[in-house]
Amino acid sequence: MTAFRPFTWVGSALAIVLVFVYFNSTHEPPADFRYVNSSGIHTLDPARMSWTQDFRVALNIWEGLTTSDPRTNQPQAGAAVFPPEVSPDKLTYTFEIRDDARWSNGDPVLAGDFIRGWRRGMEPGTGTDYTFLFTDNIVGANEYVQWRQQATGALTAMDRLRHGWGIDAQAAMSLSRHDIFEAIQSQLSSDVDVNDDREEGEALAGRLAAADIDWEVLYERVFDLHVADMKRRFAKVGLEAVDDKTLVVKLLRPCPYFLDLTSFPLFLPCHASVELLREGGAAGLTPEGLVVYDPQWTKPGRGKNGYPGLITNGPYSVSDWKFKRRLRMSANPFHRAFEMMASQTIDMLVYENISAALMAYEAGDVDFLPGMDVPYDHEIARLAKTGQRPDFHICKTFATYFMSFNCVDKRIEDRPNPFIDARVRRAFALAVDKNAIVNAVLQRGDHVAHTFVPPGALAGYHSPAGLQMDIAQAKNLLEKSGYPDGEGLPAVTLLYVPSDERVCQALAHMWETNLGAKVELRCQETKSFAQSKANHQFMIARGNWYGDYYDPTTFLGCFDTGNGNNDSGYSNKVYDALLDRARNTTNETQRLKLLADAERMIVEEDFPIIPLLHYASPIAIKPSVSGLFPNPRLWFPFQYVSVER
Amino acid sequence: MTNGAADSLVSGRKSCWLRFCANRFAVVGLVVFATVLLIALASLPWTTRWYNVQSLDSAVRAAPMTLPAVAFDAYGKALNHGVRSDWPRLDRFAWRATSWMGHDDLGRSLLCRILPATLLSLIIGGCAAFVAVVVGSTWGATAALMGGRVDAMMMRMVDVLYSLPYILMVILMKVAITRPLTSLLDGHAMLAQLIILVVAIGGVSWLTLARVVRGQVLSLRTQPFVEAARANGAGVFYLLRRHILPNVAGPIVIYATLVIPQAILQESFLSFLGIGVQQPIPSLGRLAADGVESVNAFVGFWWLIAFPCGALVVTLIALNFIGDGVRDAIDPKSSQATLI
Amino acid sequence: MIRHLARRLSWAIVTLIAVYVITFFMVVMIPGKPFQQSDRNMPIEVERALRAQYSMDNNWLYFWEFLGGAVRLDFGPSFTYNDWTCTQIVAQALPISATIGILAILVAVLIGVPLGVISASRRNSWVDVSIVSGVLIGISLPTFVSGAALMALFAVAWPILPIGGWGTLWHLPLPVITLSLPFIAYICRLTRMAMLDALSSDYIRTAIAKGVEPRDVLWTHALKVAFLPVLSYVGPATAQAVTGSFVVEKVFGVPGMGQHFVNAALNADAGLIMSTVLVFSVLLISLNFAIDILYAWLDPRITMAY
Repeated sequence: MTAFRPFTWVGSALAIVLVFVYFNSTHEPPADFRYVNSSGIHTLDPARMSWTQDFRVALNIWEGLTTSDPRTNQPQAGAAVFPPEVSPDKLTYTFEIRDDARWSNGDPVLAGDFIRGWRRGMEPGTGTDYTFLFTDNIVGANEYVQWRQQATGALTAMDRLRHGWGIDAQAAMSLSRHDIFEAIQSQLSSDVDVNDDREEGEALAGRLAAADIDWEVLYERVFDLHVADMKRRFAKVGLEAVDDKTLVVKLLRPCPYFLDLTSFPLFLPCHASVELLREGGAAGLTPEGLVVYDPQWTKPGRGKNGYPGLITNGPYSVSDWKFKRRLRMSANPFHRAFEMMASQTIDMLVYENISAALMAYEAGDVDFLPGMDVPYDHEIARLAKTGQRPDFHICKTFATYFMSFNCVDKRIEDRPNPFIDARVRRAFALAVDKNAIVNAVLQRGDHVAHTFVPPGALAGYHSPAGLQMDIAQAKNLLEKSGYPDGEGLPAVTLLYVPSDERVCQALAHMWETNLGAKVELRCQETKSFAQSKANHQFMIARGNWYGDYYDPTTFLGCFDTGNGNNDSGYSNKVYDALLDRARNTTNETQRLKLLADAERMIVEEDFPIIPLLHYASPIAIKPSVSGLFPNPRLWFPFQYVSVER
Repeated sequence: MTNGAADSLVSGRKSCWLRFCANRFAVVGLVVFATVLLIALASLPWTTRWYNVQSLDSAVRAAPMTLPAVAFDAYGKALNHGVRSDWPRLDRFAWRATSWMGHDDLGRSLLCRILPATLLSLIIGGCAAFVAVVVGSTWGATAALMGGRVDAMMMRMVDVLYSLPYILMVILMKVAITRPLTSLLDGHAMLAQLIILVVAIGGVSWLTLARVVRGQVLSLRTQPFVEAARANGAGVFYLLRRHILPNVAGPIVIYATLVIPQAILQESFLSFLGIGVQQPIPSLGRLAADGVESVNAFVGFWWLIAFPCGALVVTLIALNFIGDGVRDAIDPKSSQATLI
Repeated sequence: MIRHLARRLSWAIVTLIAVYVITFFMVVMIPGKPFQQSDRNMPIEVERALRAQYSMDNNWLYFWEFLGGAVRLDFGPSFTYNDWTCTQIVAQALPISATIGILAILVAVLIGVPLGVISASRRNSWVDVSIVSGVLIGISLPTFVSGAALMALFAVAWPILPIGGWGTLWHLPLPVITLSLPFIAYICRLTRMAMLDALSSDYIRTAIAKGVEPRDVLWTHALKVAFLPVLSYVGPATAQAVTGSFVVEKVFGVPGMGQHFVNAALNADAGLIMSTVLVFSVLLISLNFAIDILYAWLDPRITMAY
């Protein structure tokens, strides 16, 4: 046996590991400009994006038809000649793509690249949260998307059936809404009349599984038909590449903010090489009818089928991306601004612990923090406001933080829901001391909200006044609706995500002391929160809304009956009618007045939500950095940034 | 050491206690622990009323010893003008005491939160240890008594569970069973949470005990007195109750005292990750984690960090001292560290 | 020996399957809408189609598909991070967690064993008392508290080390030391007890009687025996350090497996949860395996279990 020298062994093992780490560590020079995102990028696929930090990267590596002014967020020239040609009825936009617009591999940017990108935003599978921006505005887009989504439902159900698996009520109902159902129905033993009823759906599901139908054959027929139909149907969407450089977009109705929309990430182009990674064989569709791409497409490295790596047309391109560690962007040599860009490389670093990010900023490891959501953000706000730290800025954002009531379900988890009564909602809204929340609990310089649309952000829009706290009236209202001093009120569930902890505890306390209500706090992580909310398992839930474009409709559309984001389930015919009239009005003043009337219904009468505050977001920019401006959307183009070292 | 062996022959509870008392650390631990427990229990009439009373004004993050402008009446309702002279003397003292550790970011008295938090953490630790002891000793004893294939099977299962990354399992269990259990215990969200924590933490801590108990029982099975009892026709339960359990009580007690601080520590990790006890109910881990989050280079709310962390560490150290003392007292020859 | 190895291996496979089954059942129970990107709701048909695409509408099917993929080291896509596959995420994060975990254990052995030896050799002196109480404090201090304290000391008050992140050697000391603290305490305690035992045994007395240098007796003869329990602890401890590093990872913003696991569990990211647990289990099993062999090599008297 060899000599016993444990410390020598352990010590040399330690040395070996250290040497190994040393040779694996990064020895690249630091980037010209470094900034931090607390949670990392969710996705770099513009069609699937929902988060500001993703938008920020996307808008630096891609360029839309228009771009957003770094200070005001107003549309300005992008990949197309600005301003585009607009027809007198304001329904047809003709974009002329610049000759010097190039992809990062040198290819010219074509009109077809935009159609490809936009279509990805519509197709089920690639498009997710923002598809409504197309369907609300572009001719034929809604019909196409509806048709595709229905077909997906039916194809999914049939795919399951052809493999011999049962389907559930919802799948059966999706199938019953598809054209093929008439043919199927003739095969079933008896006629089925399907409304949107769960029991009927279940019965139908059972009968479909038992029916003597060759699902394999039927599925293939429907699938082939669908694939053949797609091209024809998409041609009806109001997007046309007249030639390589000319894109014509037809709108449903005049849209005063359309050029603002075209700078939004969903409207970015997509290079042709991405089709190399499309899955689903020749048809380009999965068996469920979805359009799916290999996730490799957003990475800089080479992929299968000869994919050259992510090609973009913006000022920067992605040169390295390590999961939740770092994303490095380097200047795109084919971009027209290449010569003028002071920062050739940009590092987006990830610090899960934002407090650590702030300390790294203090230590000079980082030049810019686009958000400082730390537990002591009140101190940051104070330093910024008193001018003690001129490098801390407060950005007023185009966003509202609110609590929404469940206004539809009569019972929630075996408890009666008092909030179907608008008076109770109003009483709860009147009992909230918003000033205390903004100035005592949060102390970070947010603006107290009495309205849903942030007031003053939109020229020509006059926000309603909203209501101030009035505990006496609140008690009175509660008594009128049959709950004097909160007696008889069931325990109210307040659903929120961890970041709302302090606000929700304060709210619960206010309702308990001011109204005598009993409040049950329920904190959930974002994904389970989303599910609870979608299943309406709440009485009051937190919510926030960031305006997507500069128009009141980006906020007010949420309370349209049946809107996918109408979490409170609020439905009022008068409100719907007001929005509808506004949509069809060509007179801009008239339109804004109608919208203000609609907002008044929400924030002065019916209260599907209690607006609490409009966010003020603190950001930190090192004094050595120039060319970076606070703006309401927190989109920061880095091409103008230079850092003195 | 030779005396120790003689001692254990005479043995008995008294000598155990004497050995425990001879251990300086253990005695200090016991005294500290008893004091903390006593204060926490004695203050319950006030802390249960005041732990969530907020005053969103001058008291928000007020430093220790600064009394807020708002006082609370005996029912926790905020009053506007300081302490009321018509209160009983004890209440007035209690109200002044609320500011001793400062106030948190909602103007709640930190002292009024730390005291019940200590109790709650101890309850979680105790219950988790109880779960671990019950499951572990039943499992181990059953395996040993059944013997043969059953024994092999049961112990293999323990081996398999040993290979699970158990901290991950705690997290997974906590996340997975929260909803079904909450709906099962409709309306008792607090109870459901405690049960989940206890089951999740206790559910992964019983493995070592199962092994230890099995080993003890196996060796006991062949002891003459057990064989004699069996020859006299004693049943399995009789054997367990009269002969086996009293003789494995030592290792079980040792183990239980070590599981309690472990469980408290694990609860604090869960709280740090944001999946511990739900607000506004305080637990030590939760308070400490909240405090640690506010470590920064700008402004030091030192009391939000120092007091909860201090309470947590002092409780854990006291418990570990006691655990060490108990082990040395019960099993003075133990050289094999009881590792969890 | 070979028969023994084969048996261990077959048990490892059984264990892995059990791990998979248990994890799968828990994952199925986790609530959440994994495909939803934000607060905004998704059309129901599309969500169902996506579930179907990943076989998640049929648990039985998903069970087999994931298992089939896992065998080929293809863990499928992450639902929270659409641009990444679980394999890519694990491949990037595992080396980081492993580095921190292994370094922490090595450091713990390097510091803990000598402390234990010193403490045992001067039993009941003030050195012993202070080491023993230090050990108890080390066991009682939650890592997020000690980590924050170290960070406040060495990165804020006296900024000689970076605060967080990953990439260079300078990022190592703080997380490694923080993670190693409880292990130092355990190892020290373990060594102390084993040393006390060894020092009172006959062969040591013989050695002393024969006039062997006291230093050699302590650091060679006695430690050789006392090292065995430490060694058998190192296996599970390394696994514990590698898998239990998520608190440290969160404090110092290290992009390791633990963090991804916690995020995945909270976001119902089924594939990422299961791949992390499986990879961790493989690591755990193989570490125990390696220690077993090392143990047998160090001390041939020991008959192997099973």
